[in-house]
Amino acid sequence: MIGRSTDWLLAIAGGVLLALMINYNSLLANYTTPMYASWVAHGLGAATALVIIVLYSRAFRSTGKEATPQRAKAPLWFYFGGIPGAFTVILAAITVNSSLTLSGSIALMLVGQVVFGIVSDHFGLFRTPRRRIVGTDFLVALLVLAGSVLITFDGV
Amino acid sequence: MVFYILLAFLNGVVIGTSRSINGRLSTEVGAFKASLWNHVVGFLFLSLALLVLGEWMFDTSPAPPLTAYLGGIFGALFVAVNSYVFPRLGAMNAVLLVISGQMISAVVIDALNQNEAPTVTRWLGVAIVLLGVYLSRVSSSARDKGRTR
Repeated sequence: MIGRSTDWLLAIAGGVLLALMINYNSLLANYTTPMYASWVAHGLGAATALVIIVLYSRAFRSTGKEATPQRAKAPLWFYFGGIPGAFTVILAAITVNSSLTLSGSIALMLVGQVVFGIVSDHFGLFRTPRRRIVGTDFLVALLVLAGSVLITFDGV
Repeated sequence: MVFYILLAFLNGVVIGTSRSINGRLSTEVGAFKASLWNHVVGFLFLSLALLVLGEWMFDTSPAPPLTAYLGGIFGALFVAVNSYVFPRLGAMNAVLLVISGQMISAVVIDALNQNEAPTVTRWLGVAIVLLGVYLSRVSSSARDKGRTR
């Protein structure tokens, strides 16, 4: 149970990190273009992740090499999550500049994510564990989406 | 209009796909290596896209403030955290909790940026989102209890 609660809080903290990321990337995009800003952010993000990995492995090198169990090699497409991740910026640039504007785009993107979550859990897409969707799940989704739409469409 | 609606909706599906694949990779190589792969592959993809679309920008004047470059750092941390929780919570829960955290912090960030208190509508939105998070927590612990019995 406690492990579960940590995951819960981490996911919400992830949302905070995402909001901060979008805030600063939008600032950079104001000075450049959305795609260029995302390109720079991906480069700096790669550097950041690399620094963390190196520091972490340095800090724990003294413990010696753990015998890591030999695993089957991960298929190549496991490494390609960055492509849809980057493609998103291009799609967003198109819809934000259409009659949908920013708020309409955000709202529809949130709905798309939630529908993806439901379908993915139901069918176990991308080799993820299947999870039964129950009535409360729909109510939770409805509440989170309704609140988000209120926030998004309330003129900034 | 319908085309753009579908495109924006599809974009949400694309976002979910990216997070799901990164989450899957993290169970093989760890969260921070998954984040590294995501950013390296995305960087190469965007390099190609910028090249094809001819959107290279060499002249950035006026120069952006240094804080504008913080997005990359938060992005690296976000992908690591999200990849870690995604397979553990399941796609639906992970998506909804991340959206909740994102929306509530967006209200705070906007208020700080504009130095103005959030409107009543926004407070109401935050309350409804929190109600959803609370409900998902309650229903999930009820399910866990049922399982262990």
